[in-house]
Amino acid sequence: MKTCIVRKGLPRIDAIPKVSGEAQYTVDLKMPGLLVGKILRSPHAHARIKSIDTSAAKALDGVLAVITAEDVPENLFAFYQWQADKHILCTDRVRYVGDEVAAVAAMDDDTAEAALDLIKVEYEALPVILDIDEAMKPGAQLIHEGKESNSTWSVDRLFGDPDKALAECDYVVEGTYVTHQLAHCCLEVSNCIAKWDKRDKLTIWTNAQAPHTQRQEVARVLGIPRRNVRIINSTMGGGFGSKLVMDMKLPIASVLSRLTGRPVRIVNTRSEEFTTAKTRYPYTLHLKTGATKDGKILVRDLTLIGDNGAYHDKGPATINFSSMMFGTLYNVPNIRFHGELVYTNKAMGTAFRGFGNPQVTFATESQIDELAEKMGMDPLELRRRNVNHPDETAACGAEVCGCAMSECMELAAKEIGWEEKRGKGAPLRGVGLANMVHTGGGGRFYGFNSAEAIIKLSDEGTVTLITSALDMGQGAHTAMAQIAAEELGVRLEDINVLSHDTELTPYDLGSWGSRATFMNGNAVLAAAEDARQSLVEAAAEMLEADPADILVEESKVWVKGSHEKHDLSEVVDHTVNEHGEPISGIGRFVDHLPEGYTIPTAFAKNIPCFSFGTQAVEVEVDPETGQVNVLRVVAAHETGTTINQTMAEGQLEGSMAQGIGFALMERLVHDDEGRIVNDRFLDYKIPNIGDVPEMKAYCVESVGTRGPFGAKGIGEPGLVPTAPAIANAIYDAIGVRLHEVPMTREQIIKALKEKRASET
Amino acid sequence: MKRELHIRVNGDEYHLLVETHRTLLEVIRDEIGLTGTKNGCGQGECGACTVLLDGEPVNSCLVLAHEAEGHDVLTIEGLGSGDTLHPVQRAFVETGAIQCGYCTPGMVLTAKALLDHNPTPTRAEILEGLKGNLCRCTGYVKIVEAVEAASCLLEGGEIE
Repeated sequence: MKTCIVRKGLPRIDAIPKVSGEAQYTVDLKMPGLLVGKILRSPHAHARIKSIDTSAAKALDGVLAVITAEDVPENLFAFYQWQADKHILCTDRVRYVGDEVAAVAAMDDDTAEAALDLIKVEYEALPVILDIDEAMKPGAQLIHEGKESNSTWSVDRLFGDPDKALAECDYVVEGTYVTHQLAHCCLEVSNCIAKWDKRDKLTIWTNAQAPHTQRQEVARVLGIPRRNVRIINSTMGGGFGSKLVMDMKLPIASVLSRLTGRPVRIVNTRSEEFTTAKTRYPYTLHLKTGATKDGKILVRDLTLIGDNGAYHDKGPATINFSSMMFGTLYNVPNIRFHGELVYTNKAMGTAFRGFGNPQVTFATESQIDELAEKMGMDPLELRRRNVNHPDETAACGAEVCGCAMSECMELAAKEIGWEEKRGKGAPLRGVGLANMVHTGGGGRFYGFNSAEAIIKLSDEGTVTLITSALDMGQGAHTAMAQIAAEELGVRLEDINVLSHDTELTPYDLGSWGSRATFMNGNAVLAAAEDARQSLVEAAAEMLEADPADILVEESKVWVKGSHEKHDLSEVVDHTVNEHGEPISGIGRFVDHLPEGYTIPTAFAKNIPCFSFGTQAVEVEVDPETGQVNVLRVVAAHETGTTINQTMAEGQLEGSMAQGIGFALMERLVHDDEGRIVNDRFLDYKIPNIGDVPEMKAYCVESVGTRGPFGAKGIGEPGLVPTAPAIANAIYDAIGVRLHEVPMTREQIIKALKEKRASET
Repeated sequence: MKRELHIRVNGDEYHLLVETHRTLLEVIRDEIGLTGTKNGCGQGECGACTVLLDGEPVNSCLVLAHEAEGHDVLTIEGLGSGDTLHPVQRAFVETGAIQCGYCTPGMVLTAKALLDHNPTPTRAEILEGLKGNLCRCTGYVKIVEAVEAASCLLEGGEIE
């Protein structure tokens, strides 16, 4: 494919504003009359609210409003309204440490802080449940009164005949795997400004990955018309899934603004971010894998319990997505999946890069190695015998079109030195690898999947691209601009991308599920095609040529065969100023639903485009301290067509670092009363520059997808297989198998002790 | 209690009346209005608020504004000259070391200070020098490349 702009590792279009400090994030905005809002949060993980006295806070100079549950709409909220279980401010009960109890608006920070201290809340403590097993016990304290149990949702999926298959298998392995709560740790905390104006229009400035659906959510919880809510994004300091579903600070700031008639800002402290900005869903996974003696995996059986935290959010969607990836990887013919969500008195879970797939892949890809061990087979060879293939429909219904799984796996294995190192490396060193499948184009989970984009050319030929692809740092704006520039034949620097305002951008489901490149990219491509057609017609008229002979490249226009090149601006100036015919384009991409699609039955048919990948790692383990040093990570992931090499590598490298955090370092730790004790970067360690090993990212191009120029999304896949690859490498190094992430030093030392004891 | 504060930021003199408990970060962002310096944690643990105080990197959230009385502060807005990026900034742009960009100003200033002291750092020295600046997006691979590239640019006689 000959391209000028796509497939080049060009610098991001927002790099200069970001490197010079010019880029404005939501926390940087200034506004006349702006008040400081703060939230009084529960210090208890579970308690009854007996009384709240706000009189002293209200009397404090500089305090303009103090609100409790009595001052806000009574509506209950959850991402899925059928699961609604959370009030804007707690009415009579708090359910986790950090739950919103009251809020203030004041002239400045210090006054707002002082006002919070003056609010008197009397609590009556209730039993605290932090553990899913305890929560599921018959007769356990109910976290939501009126419900039958703390088990709040479940799903079952069955393909083939797992029991029959298990009886036919020569080898079956079984194990339990555990993951914990993780924090997204965006460097810019969750924050917003709300302004409820005199025309009853509510404008919210915030950092949102899905502003259109958040707009609907704010309207829903406040009980106001959707048309009255507008959300404006600024440059975003990270997302990783944490900014998909509305945070309660949005309606809280909105009510404070309505009461005071002034804009109100609420910004999380870093401690609030760790304790209340939601987490990755922790899973406990009971998994069985069975294979024939020649290495064909016949069956997988998984029971998965997700720790929901205190309220509903993206739990069902996360578990459903887990089941789809579980069903698709290796096209196993017999699949049983049971997923369940359980309430606990902890911060609620939400979307987090990988969306349930890293947790499940930790279990499945660890167990593949355990199965290979039992069979006496090289784990790479076992995987080779089960790879997914292009153009196959998996037993679970997944329609795999493009698929470069074999290429990714062989490349990663070669680059890590599998043949030379596995089972025979230096003492205490080991290599391991893991595969993964993920969506490369979002999903049809809403019952539809579509995107729209608008392009207009100025009278000098510069381009305004209006797209709903949010850039939370992953580079969506640059990718969209590259796609538009390539198709239109203009220079990248001539494109200005606008995506920040729900009044401006077309309705869209948001940037999640590695969706933007595939979905919004296709819409941008269609808009550029539309605009290009008008441009070519205008040029043909001006140059008195056949439209079929007009060429446009790098903002130059010429007639095929002629050496006389015209600036694009001449053509646009001509058509605008001589004929009054400005050039614009609109594009829509609809990912049509497969025949017979229904939301409850669609399962893996929800995925329009699958993306495969492999990571291989080399580790060294110190048996004295239990320290695992990851020496190298090689990631080979499928991109379809790589829109921007540098940015795609950046997505994989950043994901691998988060994968290393997931594997070895990160976990929110609670004390017995449910308080998160590591609510700061000093105690909740994310990888710093010295913690990351040598990492090599390979973007493996493949054919067969419907993405723009054949591209797939690459935002999430890079952290999915990291943890099991590390677990497998640890096993190769020291012969112990860890079933819980993060794989801490304590776990390693304990496992080594047990191994020594069993050997003597 | 407010007290007079005389401070030089990016070469400009400011005479302000500032409460004694305000941090340098608050004064730079809220009083002077330079928002390129970011608040990531407010606890000196992420490095996003790094500025150069008399050429040395500090977490401006941990420095009281009045401690900077009479001193020179360089923020990201003061790096480079006019429309020209400083070589460290250019290297960050060209190597793709920026994603969300929130850690970038602090990262760039820390890197500049490192290169001022040690124009040709080894990889190990780069890792040591930037350990206090957290980034959640990039995995740091391209940040290391950027510092190496900046070192080459500066060694090649690029003017600051």
